[in-house]
Amino acid sequence: MSADLAFASVVDLARRIARKEVSPVEVVRVYLERIGARDDALRAYITVCDEAALAAAGVAESALAAGRPVGPLHGVPIALKDLYDTAGVRTTGGSKILADRVPEADATVVRRLREAGAIVLGKLHMVEFAYGPEGLNAHHGAPRNPWDAAAERMPGGSSSGSGVAVAAGLAPAALGSDTGGSIRIPASLCGITGLKPTYGRVSRAGVLPLAWSMDHVGPMTRTVADSALLLRVMAGYDPADASTSVLPVPDYLAALSGDVKGLRVGLLRAFFMESATPEVRAAVEAAAQTLETAGAIVDEVALPAVAHVGAASYAVVASEALAYHTGWLRSRPADYDPEVRKRLQLGAFISGAHYVRGQQVRALVRNEVDAALARRDVLLAPATPLTAPRLDERQTTLGDGPSEVRGALIRLTRPFNFSGHPACAVPCGFSTSGLPIGLQLVGRPFDEATVLRVADAYQRLTDWHTRRPVLA
Amino acid sequence: MDDVFDLETLRHAAHVAGFTWTDEELQALRPVVQASLRLLATLDALPLDGVEPTTQYRIL
Repeated sequence: MSADLAFASVVDLARRIARKEVSPVEVVRVYLERIGARDDALRAYITVCDEAALAAAGVAESALAAGRPVGPLHGVPIALKDLYDTAGVRTTGGSKILADRVPEADATVVRRLREAGAIVLGKLHMVEFAYGPEGLNAHHGAPRNPWDAAAERMPGGSSSGSGVAVAAGLAPAALGSDTGGSIRIPASLCGITGLKPTYGRVSRAGVLPLAWSMDHVGPMTRTVADSALLLRVMAGYDPADASTSVLPVPDYLAALSGDVKGLRVGLLRAFFMESATPEVRAAVEAAAQTLETAGAIVDEVALPAVAHVGAASYAVVASEALAYHTGWLRSRPADYDPEVRKRLQLGAFISGAHYVRGQQVRALVRNEVDAALARRDVLLAPATPLTAPRLDERQTTLGDGPSEVRGALIRLTRPFNFSGHPACAVPCGFSTSGLPIGLQLVGRPFDEATVLRVADAYQRLTDWHTRRPVLA
Repeated sequence: MDDVFDLETLRHAAHVAGFTWTDEELQALRPVVQASLRLLATLDALPLDGVEPTTQYRIL
């Protein structure tokens, strides 16, 4: 029963709780027990809200017993990357600087999830201030990728704890944030589903920023259907976040028809497939073939401007990150991880002209992705060009030559932070050494429904997302 | 590029940005700053005349 619940989907848990087949208290206890037994080794959590979670589960159980109307996530536990403000619970950003910061109010999306009935299990490890894709953290240590904890492989970041918790059955779902790939990279490396919605689809109010114009928040789950359910609750206009859209929020779960017949899929070979390792490339080609066999129309498409995204997004992210951190860089420089401090300091040497040039390249990239999607429903690419590197690995070899691991991890996800298009990572295979491989699906702005529909159809056709790591 | 960003130039650029960093820190930053400037220089070579900068989607 315990393992059954620990790896049950959010959709299934919500249904079983609503039918009183299982109680919220029982579900929360299963997760707290697993966290107690496994998290010393995996290090997914910074803060476990055990008493509050059990109390909330008791209230949820009483509401059901009394026959009161309940929300779509009633009694379902979730965990949060530790940059989402939580009323009365410390929110550190994975840093020493905010180690004792206790917000007075929930972030907008946390409030919406609680209103829908979700129960917060705890706060998850992350890269300090979300500035890095490997999942490393000098203050807290790195969470361990559950697919090969013995070899100490990277979980990916910056939402490292979110990837580990969901993959290892320490939470049925988690929230991450994504500035250059920080939802999709750990999803890819840990073998789970991660959705970066369109910029403006989900409120960032109450979420610590890294770079305002690149930051996105979204769900990390084991199935696409679970991400669809969470997105429906999270999305929508928020007066506290001026970038949010008033476009109506569709029923994403209802959009999951399982049918891809006639949908047009553009496979991104140039730049994306070219930089992937042979194993990753083969898995993504096979995924395209799977969709084609199911009736999708697959063709090849190129986005030449993405070659300039590395330089352009560096100018934007480093400048915006420095703007947020200037005060602490002056008053508490020694309290940063030296690597993160160095990344922040580099922002001081970027001119205003280069920042604007970066935004000009953003226009080119956005227009190019829009044009590719004018005649296609989704684009397909690897989420990461490689599987999880070892924690101490700094250099790697990709399909197009040697690369720093850090740059390699964000190379294929960052273009869609820059363009703002919705993008979802799902597992699409395993390497010969047993590590997950991630597929990325990209859609039109505010058309998460189609991205989720194709990703869900793929999961109905394959079983990669149902595989579980063997934990010691 | 190496000549342009010597330690004094770095110190001055940091000062203009409002930071006072030690020579040791600046020396450690120097190769990374030079690499980042080489990267940024690739933006100068792009044909961006007439391209209006944008930030993100904004559908109200």
